[in-house]
Amino acid sequence: MKLPAPPTEKSFPSPLHHPRVATVIGRWLGLAVTICFLTGLFSHFQQDTPTWLHIPSRPSSLYRVTQGLHVLSGTVAVPLLLAKLWTVYPKLFAKPPWPPSRQAVTTILERLSILVLVSALALELFIGFLNTLQWYPWPFPFKETHYALAWIIIGALLVHLAVKLPLIVEHWRRTPEPVAESLPPAITGLSRRGLFRTVAGAAALVGITSVGQSVPALGPLAVLAPRKPNIGPQGLPVNRTAHDAGVTGIGPDWRFTVKGPQELSYTLEALRQLPQSRSELPIACVEGWSQGGRWEGIRVRDLLRLCGAPEGSRVRVVSMEKGGFYATSELPPEFADDPLTLLALRLNGDELALDHGYPARIIAPNRPGVLQTKWVHRLEVLS
Amino acid sequence: MKTRVIRAALAAVGLGFGLWGLWLLLGAVEPPALIRLPLWLGGAVLADDFFLVPLTVTTGWLVTRWSAGPDRHRTIGAVRTTFLYVGLTTLIAIPLLLRQGKSANPTVLPRDYLRDWLLLEATIVVTGAVVFLLQRSRFTFSRSRASSGDIGGR
Repeated sequence: MKLPAPPTEKSFPSPLHHPRVATVIGRWLGLAVTICFLTGLFSHFQQDTPTWLHIPSRPSSLYRVTQGLHVLSGTVAVPLLLAKLWTVYPKLFAKPPWPPSRQAVTTILERLSILVLVSALALELFIGFLNTLQWYPWPFPFKETHYALAWIIIGALLVHLAVKLPLIVEHWRRTPEPVAESLPPAITGLSRRGLFRTVAGAAALVGITSVGQSVPALGPLAVLAPRKPNIGPQGLPVNRTAHDAGVTGIGPDWRFTVKGPQELSYTLEALRQLPQSRSELPIACVEGWSQGGRWEGIRVRDLLRLCGAPEGSRVRVVSMEKGGFYATSELPPEFADDPLTLLALRLNGDELALDHGYPARIIAPNRPGVLQTKWVHRLEVLS
Repeated sequence: MKTRVIRAALAAVGLGFGLWGLWLLLGAVEPPALIRLPLWLGGAVLADDFFLVPLTVTTGWLVTRWSAGPDRHRTIGAVRTTFLYVGLTTLIAIPLLLRQGKSANPTVLPRDYLRDWLLLEATIVVTGAVVFLLQRSRFTFSRSRASSGDIGGR
């Protein structure tokens, strides 16, 4: 018996496997990837700030918006990537160049760059989405791999654009659709415009059913999102519980200390007697969910003044958390000095829940949730 | 000439970024994990190119074949879009369904994802069916007009 021949580039009759279609969907995917990359870069720099970069503490909801966009654009990129791969699928079966020539080498290099782009982008979207569920079934560290792959993707994308530039320019504007010769496929087949509408609809559907984790008003619709912004103790989700952090609460001998030019020490009752301020600030997590809260506590800048810290001091925040990468965080001068930055004792009208950092936590504007350190028992003035 | 310069610049910057990413990867990931990373990258390509895309190509082919039947060409759009949206939303729901009840804490995956997924698919199918019926009735209407045109439009 003769095996059926493997498909070739000509085995796919749909006129939608066309450079014009690839150009349009490629533009959408490119936009989503660019937004995802830039917002991801911002999030990375928030957590690992290079010395040359100055991150402002306002607008206070900036990180909420950028990280919500990061996860949203990544999720929306899934249908766009699939549509793009579908459009160019026949190319997978294009004959390998033969005999060897300069042209053949260029073709092989080009295909390798596409292999890098597709594999890295598909894996990046996959591990990014699973990270929002806090599910890590792979053997490599998420954060480092996600960040490095992002650069590889952007690099491979630029190379891809360089290779395809003439084709992209040629098909940037609308070109006439080929008129099909036989009737049934001509009528039943999708037109380009129909395909674009369908793909845009798919992207919108995925967006609407997941954006609610960052936009509480759309929370009920977020059936494809791993979070609902108002579910959790005090109406706020939790990433790391007190149990996971090895924090069980405080004893009567608990003291909050500030290490600066003068050393201050307070009982919880004494902290409550200090002048209290209110801040309306969101918790915005790297996983994309966010929710606003009404926080009450002592302004960090008031504590710094009480201990005689000089203007523009940087502050290290120390948690009672056992181990873990985020047991300490640093407040750059602008964040420590911002009147919205609190050592919060209360949330939404009640004492902090243990999972939200009882007895005291940091809440600052325009910061990723992982840096809003919980179970704080010491501030150290660094400079 | 100008295009050539732009292309060369894009390729050079792209190569630089890519190598920077590779450098970061080599610096941050331990060798045993680094060896297994290509397996995952390859797996991602296999999942796309040899499962997801062939699945859409095959479904598309079957739906198009089905549409060759009488009177089906007006409704094919609704059928195709419904299939596609059901498939896509299910693909994204799979990890949520798999991890339901196994999350790190009760605020992760707090919904009843099975119920919500069924509701979502039902909504898509019902919407698809409504569009299907609308398109079919519009077809009947336009066909009756067309046939009246055949006898002179009066």
